[in-house]
Amino acid sequence: MSAAFETSPSPAPTLQARNVRKSFASGRIESTVLHDLTLDVRGGELTLIAGPSGCGKSTLLAILSGLQPADGGSVRALGHELSGLSLNELEHFRLQHTGFVFQGFNLFPALSALEQVELPLTYMGLGKGTARQRAIESLEEVGLGPRMQLRPAELSGGEKQRVAIARALAKRPELLFADEPTSALDAANGQIVIDILHRIARNHGTTVLCVSHDPRLVGHADRVLAMEDGRILSDHVPSVSPVIASEAKEPSA
Amino acid sequence: MVALARKTLVHEWRRFLPAILAVGFASLLQLLQAALVLGIFGSASVYITGSSGDLWAGYPGTQSVNLGRPISEDVAMRLRMDPDVTRVEPFRWVDADWRGPRDTGGVSVFVSGIDTSPDAMMFSKALAPDLRARLNEPGAVIVDKADLDSLGVNIGDTAAINGQRVRVVGVGSGLRALGGVNIVASLDTARVLDIDPEDAGMMTYFVAKLRDPSKAKMIAGRLNGSDAFGPYTVWTSKDFARQSQLYWMLDTGAGAGVLFLAGIVFLVGAVITSQTLIAAVIGSIREYATLNALGVGRGALRKVIMEQAFWVGALGIVCSIVIGALLLVIARNRSVPMELHPLTAAVCLAVSMALAIVSGLATLRSLRSADPASLLR
Repeated sequence: MSAAFETSPSPAPTLQARNVRKSFASGRIESTVLHDLTLDVRGGELTLIAGPSGCGKSTLLAILSGLQPADGGSVRALGHELSGLSLNELEHFRLQHTGFVFQGFNLFPALSALEQVELPLTYMGLGKGTARQRAIESLEEVGLGPRMQLRPAELSGGEKQRVAIARALAKRPELLFADEPTSALDAANGQIVIDILHRIARNHGTTVLCVSHDPRLVGHADRVLAMEDGRILSDHVPSVSPVIASEAKEPSA
Repeated sequence: MVALARKTLVHEWRRFLPAILAVGFASLLQLLQAALVLGIFGSASVYITGSSGDLWAGYPGTQSVNLGRPISEDVAMRLRMDPDVTRVEPFRWVDADWRGPRDTGGVSVFVSGIDTSPDAMMFSKALAPDLRARLNEPGAVIVDKADLDSLGVNIGDTAAINGQRVRVVGVGSGLRALGGVNIVASLDTARVLDIDPEDAGMMTYFVAKLRDPSKAKMIAGRLNGSDAFGPYTVWTSKDFARQSQLYWMLDTGAGAGVLFLAGIVFLVGAVITSQTLIAAVIGSIREYATLNALGVGRGALRKVIMEQAFWVGALGIVCSIVIGALLLVIARNRSVPMELHPLTAAVCLAVSMALAIVSGLATLRSLRSADPASLLR
């Protein structure tokens, strides 16, 4: 189904979902959240999954990113079949290949911005110098170079979310997942964040999959999937050219 | 490596303070309890530990030094016959009743009749030679200065022991005994005070000095061979002291009490510490979940928690050492019997560290709620 919506010649999909099903039981009632969902996501693009709350978009993100197993169907990420992997193998896959940005910034209050970004890198087995270097580069890329020694309490909401993005970006992931990254931010900061995510997809060839019900984001995505009741209703390229939009509102940082 | 555990501990010290205090108090309680018990029951063997004899000969089967029975003076001969024994000294123990000048009622006292020569072994560590020489005066006694109040006397006062008139000629320190007040007198004075006809011509103990104290165990074994000089047993001073302390500890039930209390302290400390650590983990659960989403394994997160538990334990122990040392100094200045050997202290501190580690292990369960999927809401 996804092939019908392809708009430009593009490389093989980095994320593939085939007949993914997921349901949750609450008491005796079982509610199906995803109905045999099939989807391809490509690298170098910012793909937005939009839809009302409760439509299953967060669950889809959790399954595609290897945070949660599907009840049925298959998920292939970067050529790896995720459905058969153990908890440890999934952790290893996420460590090597994925980055996450959540609605809450989830930063450790005790660490400076630089340390927040460095922390996961050290667990990847990078040397101290390399980790420090990458962390600095990522913070500079999100425009926080001058503020990298500050703790979360000294940063604004938008800056905290940019630290969270730098933390994901410094891992140099092929897959970057963002869940409602702008919901907790005002218009200006939301704009900055979505522009950064878009730029990451363009400059690094990263697969950026973003879930949001924020209508402001629609115009900035390369591709928008509209979801409702566990199904994808439409798959289209938004009317406003995201390139022009993002260049027009590029943050000065 | 970013020192997440330590930085969090420093930054959120208020959050961790209850755990540090819990470990610190538990550690302090264990230390003080051990010091107090060792100090109190150590005074059961003050006759042995305050003296420089290497061997003690007494009635067979004597369980504690205060339970001695008379033995024949011939035993002294047997000891002197051994080529390794350089000196033998009698020690008369008299269980007596004290009547002081002030209205203190009857006080149960133990009179220690000792050799008054300057190089004598009995209480050589507690009595200076000039003080010891004052005992040569008939009826002269020396008491510990901490016992003056309970005896109702001052230096120079007269009192009665078993109806005989005695005079306090001086005070010493390190003479306090367990179960009664220790009163030091000369052998002659003690003989006069001993009104039990059974004790005539008998002594309670003989203390011997050896040419080579390191051979004490072997020589004691050799001396225990025969009964030709009447019934007696020879102990090394170390064994006899330990035996006396153990007798008191078990006889009074204090040993079991100490272990019971240590268990309670451990339990309470562990509950407070683990609850505090759990609260700290829950407080950062979203951050831990984010790290897990980014692929940092659960094992690595557990290590962070255990590291925090370790630092909490270490800080608590440092607190307890500082406060404990201070209290020990104060106790010593006030003649409170407290004694702490490095090994005992090490065991107490190890138990406190174990408390922190056990609390850390109990905390690991709460990491299960660090489910990254729960962040996607």
